[in-house]
Amino acid sequence: METNKFMKFILKNSTAVLFVMIFVMFGLIAPRFFTLKNFQNIMSNASYIGIIAVGMTFVLLTGGIDLSVGSTMYLSVVVCGKLINEANFPVFPAVLISLLVGATVGAVNAFSITKLHLVPFITTLITQTIARGVGLFITRSVAVNYPDSVTLMSTSTVAGFIPLQIFIFLMVVLVACIVLNRTRYGRQLYAVGNDLESAKKAGIKSDRLIASTYVISGLLAALGGFVTITQIGRVNAGFGSGDEFDAIAAAVLGGASLFGGVGTIFPGTVLGTVMIEMIQAGLVFANVDIYIQPIIMAAIIFSAVFIDSIRTMQIKKLERRNILKA
Amino acid sequence: MRKGIVVLFILCLLVPSAIFAAGAQESDQVTIAFCFQDLETEFWVAGHKAITETLRENGIKVIEKNANEDANRQLEQVKDVITQGVDGVIIIPQDGESAVTIAKTCNEAGVPIGVFNRPPSDKSAKNLVVVANNEVIAEAAVEHMAQEAMKLGRKVHPAIMVGDLGDPNAVGRRQGFMNVIEKYPDLWAYEPVEIPTKWDANVALANLQSAMQANPDIDFLFTSSDFLFPVIKSVLAPLGKWTTIDDPNHVILAGLDGDVTAAQLLEEGYIDATGVQNLFYEADLMIDAMLEAINAGNGTPDKWMDDPGFALTQANLDTRAEEMWGWVLYKERQ
Repeated sequence: METNKFMKFILKNSTAVLFVMIFVMFGLIAPRFFTLKNFQNIMSNASYIGIIAVGMTFVLLTGGIDLSVGSTMYLSVVVCGKLINEANFPVFPAVLISLLVGATVGAVNAFSITKLHLVPFITTLITQTIARGVGLFITRSVAVNYPDSVTLMSTSTVAGFIPLQIFIFLMVVLVACIVLNRTRYGRQLYAVGNDLESAKKAGIKSDRLIASTYVISGLLAALGGFVTITQIGRVNAGFGSGDEFDAIAAAVLGGASLFGGVGTIFPGTVLGTVMIEMIQAGLVFANVDIYIQPIIMAAIIFSAVFIDSIRTMQIKKLERRNILKA
Repeated sequence: MRKGIVVLFILCLLVPSAIFAAGAQESDQVTIAFCFQDLETEFWVAGHKAITETLRENGIKVIEKNANEDANRQLEQVKDVITQGVDGVIIIPQDGESAVTIAKTCNEAGVPIGVFNRPPSDKSAKNLVVVANNEVIAEAAVEHMAQEAMKLGRKVHPAIMVGDLGDPNAVGRRQGFMNVIEKYPDLWAYEPVEIPTKWDANVALANLQSAMQANPDIDFLFTSSDFLFPVIKSVLAPLGKWTTIDDPNHVILAGLDGDVTAAQLLEEGYIDATGVQNLFYEADLMIDAMLEAINAGNGTPDKWMDDPGFALTQANLDTRAEEMWGWVLYKERQ
């Protein structure tokens, strides 16, 4: 009985257990890995992809997918940079406009999916191309450099010790958790993802709900883009490409289902995001051969997803045994 | 009504004929398709400009195709322009493997192909290849760094930011760095730290931060591309290591490409050197060889042309800066 309880606890928290195991493993290989500064760096570097992954989790919960987030990031930070550099906009209004750009791309996705009934995969693939195309048209592929007033933000802290980008990430996580776990909107989102037809019969306005997730995803993609730009200070033509897959991987690694209805922001997506960043950092700390690094990275992520899939089956088995014994 | 339909039908037949006739009048003009993988960095933007402007200055009609980093799409685009009857094809391939496949397609069609600045992975196809000798250029830049390190009178801790390992340019640059590491075994305090970037600024940022955290004494850093200097600045500045060359905390820094940022940083004294690819020279080489093949009716020319490049350093800045494409653009912008 006790063994069963222990097994259930381990299986239910397998992502967290794996997270701790990896952290300890790299710490033993490279003792400097255990430092607070390193953990801060990992969190800081995970922030932007974490913000995007939060938006992606909303979309995944409805059974959808958003492949346009990388291009949305690019377009929004291009607009922001151009406004600051060429139109002499102050930073804050420029950022607000760039968020609006992100939300607009999300709204285009939302309209196409809910009103024109296009498949999310294809729709967001199209907006991915369009958003990047518009960004490239604006820049003519030339890099956009941000002024020091923006890049210095990456060194600023909140309450004297939390780096700004981590603070923004934590705020996004907090708000998303409240929305998903404490509001009717959140409960309806899970309902729509679990069974769309039943949700509709229960009177849930599913179209409006699904549409909102794409707008949230676009908005958070733009925010994630700005957060990373405060760190790297420059937008190249390849900026953000492929980040959609990192965001999806983080959410799925955190337990979100690609079929909808399953997934959490915390600990799920947050752990998934930080774990990916932690593995990458650990490989650099351990000075692993650069040709082997991608293989180890993929193997660890595969293991995590594999453990997650057998976890679901095992929990069901254990619960079935308990019912039979009762 | 029926007469009207007949007239419309005849017009429909005549319009394409007229278009083809107009095209035939232009057929004396040489047409070259320029198929590039994307314009991710200033280097590729400048390369694109150098090629297209030189072609047009020579009275050549240019058909441009952007594959948006998709090797399959580039292959389809090349097949498409061959069908259109172009006289030659110049590509900037996505990688060395796809360059071979595309070149073989052109060989079969008897259309001369030039591969610009990203070499094919093997020599099984016949093509004109203009490529910077990445290994030699990187070696020249890192050699200057080593000379600066020797002046310190102590051992240094070297590190390299490595590009995408699927890109032959990145592999060549890494090899150039390693050649210098092997040349001066007594100069290094530790084995070099290799920092993967995948040519992605975010990956580079995260990995450089980790590398500096794990090895805080890194004081000799070579980046395989100049476009990563802003990332290096954002990591080194909070550590108090983003300083000019005369500062005791200065990390000996060099890159490769010769872009605008590198020009500015060289002038301001933040970096020690950059390896320069002579883009204008490379464009001229390619177009001369392509026109020669077209005029000779040679559909499968095969020639490998090297741009030896050079290292622009703090020592030769006054004499050789004007040879760097990024310097020219930097001064134009100023």
